[in-house]
Amino acid sequence: MTHSTKAFYWMAVPALLLFVTLHTVPVLTGVLFSFTDYAGYGKWNFVGLQNYLSLFKDDRVLTSYGFTFLFAITTTVIVNVLALGIAMLLNARIKFQTAFRGLFFIPNVLAILVIGYVFNFIFSNSLPLLGQSLGIDWLSTSILANKDLAWLGIVGVSAWQSIAFSTILYLAGLQTIPAELYEAAGLDGASYWRQFSSITFPMIGAFFTINMVLALKGFLQAFDQIVALTGGGPGTSTESVAMVIFRGGFQGGEFGYQMANSVVYLLVIVAVSLIQLRTLQRKEADF
Amino acid sequence: MFHLKQGRATALGAALAAALLTSCAAAPAENEVTLDFFQFKPEAVQEFAGLIDEFEAANPGIRVLQNSVPDPDTAIRTLLVKNKAPDVLTLNGNASFGLLAEACVFADLSQEPVAKKVLPAVQDILNANGRCGGSEINGLPMANNASGILYNPEIFAKYGVSVPRTWDELIAAVETFKANGVAPFYMTLKDAWTTSPALVNLAAQLQPEDFFDRLDAAGDVREDSPVSFSKDYQELADKLSKLFSYAQPGAAGVDYATGNKAFADGKSAMYLNGSFAVPAIRAANPDAKIASFPYPVTNDPAKTTVVSGVDVALAMGRETPHRAEAQKFIDFLLSKEVVDKYTKNQSAFAPVRDAAPQQDPALQGLAAYFNAGRVEGYMDHRLPPSIPLVNITQQFVLDGDKSRFLNTLDNEWFKVAARTPNRGDQ
Repeated sequence: MTHSTKAFYWMAVPALLLFVTLHTVPVLTGVLFSFTDYAGYGKWNFVGLQNYLSLFKDDRVLTSYGFTFLFAITTTVIVNVLALGIAMLLNARIKFQTAFRGLFFIPNVLAILVIGYVFNFIFSNSLPLLGQSLGIDWLSTSILANKDLAWLGIVGVSAWQSIAFSTILYLAGLQTIPAELYEAAGLDGASYWRQFSSITFPMIGAFFTINMVLALKGFLQAFDQIVALTGGGPGTSTESVAMVIFRGGFQGGEFGYQMANSVVYLLVIVAVSLIQLRTLQRKEADF
Repeated sequence: MFHLKQGRATALGAALAAALLTSCAAAPAENEVTLDFFQFKPEAVQEFAGLIDEFEAANPGIRVLQNSVPDPDTAIRTLLVKNKAPDVLTLNGNASFGLLAEACVFADLSQEPVAKKVLPAVQDILNANGRCGGSEINGLPMANNASGILYNPEIFAKYGVSVPRTWDELIAAVETFKANGVAPFYMTLKDAWTTSPALVNLAAQLQPEDFFDRLDAAGDVREDSPVSFSKDYQELADKLSKLFSYAQPGAAGVDYATGNKAFADGKSAMYLNGSFAVPAIRAANPDAKIASFPYPVTNDPAKTTVVSGVDVALAMGRETPHRAEAQKFIDFLLSKEVVDKYTKNQSAFAPVRDAAPQQDPALQGLAAYFNAGRVEGYMDHRLPPSIPLVNITQQFVLDGDKSRFLNTLDNEWFKVAARTPNRGDQ
C-alpha cells in the first residue's frame, strides 16, 4: 500500500463509519420493525408481511399517496418553470444584478416552518380581508380552511421557498454557456425563442435534470410546510405520506405498521428518481 | 452583509460559554437524589415550578428536575423507545396514556396510601383507558377537567334567556340569539380538535350502553358487527351537525386563540369548550363574563351528565431507581393543600375526597354534576389514537356529509382492529 492510498482510507473510513451508524443502521432497524407489531414501546412480535398487506387496503394511506403526488408534481413544474425564467432574467445584463441575485436567494435561507407560519397568517387573516373588500367570494374565507383549495396554498408556499434554490442552480448553468454560441446564432438571424430552445435549454440540460430530480424528491417528502399551514386539514385532505407516517407511527402507536409504509415509500421515491434520471439524461446535449 | 462582525461573534461566544457554565454550576451533590419529572402541561410549568420549590425545601436531599416539552404524547414515546422512562410523570389521561399503561411502562400505584382517597368514579374513567395486566393502577388523577357549554351570563340576561335544561330549550335559546343578531356560538374550526368537546358530550349521552366494550369485542369484520358508528351514531351526527350549523360566518378560518378572545370580549352568547379553556379566556380578557352548564343533549334533564377526563394523571416509571423518593413526591402532589391550590389556579376539578370543591363562579354549573358523580369519560379516549378522529369530525362539521362521516369512522375502526389483532392481550 502506497503512502497516498493510506491517506485516502484515513479520510474515507471515518465518514463511512459515521454514515453506517447514523444512517444505514437506523434504516435497517426500521426495515426490521416493519415486520413486527411494535407500538414504539413495550413488547412486540413478528407478524410477517401483515403490515404490508394492510397498507394496500388502507384508504387513508392510499389517499395520502394521491395527495402527495399531485402536490409534488404540480409544485415541481411550477418551481422549475419560474426558476428558469427568473434565472434568465437575473443572468441578463441588468442594473443591480448582484443585489437582485441576493434578494431572490433569501427565501432559501429562511426556515420553511417560519415561512409557513407567516403565510398561514396571510392566508387566514390578510387575504380574506382583501377578498371581502373586493367582493371575491372564494377569497373571503381562508383558503386553508377550504378542502378543495387548501392544497394550492401549500403549493404556493412551497414554490415560493424552493424557487430560490432552483434559480441558483439554473444561474450556474446559464453561466457555463459560451457567449460565442449566441453571437453566432444572432449573426444567423435566430429569434430569441429559437436561441432559447436550440441553445439555452439543451446546454443546461444537466441542470434541468438535477433540478427536476431534487425538486420532485423534496416535495414527495413534504412535511414541515404542511404542519405549519394546515396540519393535514381540513379533515385529512392535505395529509402527505410523511405526515401519515409521523402521526400513525409516533402519535398513533403504530410504529411497525408505519415503518412498513416508510419502506414502501422509500422504494417508491427511489424508483421515481431513477426513472426521472434515465428519461431526462437521454435528452441532455453532450458537448 | 451576511458576515458576522468579529466583535459580535466574540460576545456571542462569551455568552454561550457563560450559559454553559451556569448550567454546570447547578450539578447535584453526591448524596442527593435527582428525580426526572416529565410534566406535560405547558400552561402549568410555572405552577409546578413553585410546587417543586416547596417540595425541595421540605425534603432536603431530593431534587426535582421539571422537563416540559411541546407535543408531550410524542415526546414520551420517544423517551420510552430509548428506554429513558422518567421517574415521575404527569400526562393527560387520554387514550395514549391508556396504551402506554397497557404496555406496562408505568409502576403499579394501587398499594399507595394516597390511592385510597381518589374518587372511585374518576379512577374508573382513568383505568378504563387501559392498565397493565387489567388490575393495576398505573395513574393517579391529580386534576380533572369538565366539558360543558360555556356561556356569557350578561348576554343571556339581556335577552331574557335562562339556562337550557333540554335539547329543545337549547335550540330555542340559540334561535332567540340568532333572531336578535347575536352569534349563538363562536366556533374555531381551524383547530380541528375544538370540534371534539361537542362530539364527546353528545356521545357520552347518546351512545348505547357499553358501546365501546361491545365494539372492542366485535373483532375486525365490519359486516358481522352488531354495533357500529353507522348504526349507533345517527342521532349524534344529526345533533352535532345542527350545533355547528349555527357557526358564525368565516368560522372555518378561526383558531382557538382567536375564539377565546372573541368569547372573552362578548362576541357570542356561548362557547363550546371545556373548563380548560377558562384560564385561556381570562388571559385574553381578565373581565370576561363566564358561566357554564352541562350539554342538555336529550329532552330528559335527568339524563344530563358532564364529560370529565383526568387532565393531569400522575404516574411513575416502572423501573425507577428512586421509588421511595418518587412516591414521596407523588404523595406531596396529591396532598390536600397542593390539589386545592392547583385546581383553584388552573380552573380544574379536584378528584380526591379531602379537597375543597371548585369555587370558581365560571364552573359552578358543572361543579354540582361533578361532585354528585354524574360524570362520563371522554369517548375519544376509547378510540385508538391512530384514528384521526378530530380531523374526521372537522371534515364532517364543514361539509355535513353524515353518511361519509359515520362510514369513515367505521372504516378506520375496523381497519385498525384488523391490523392490530393482539392489541388487547399484551
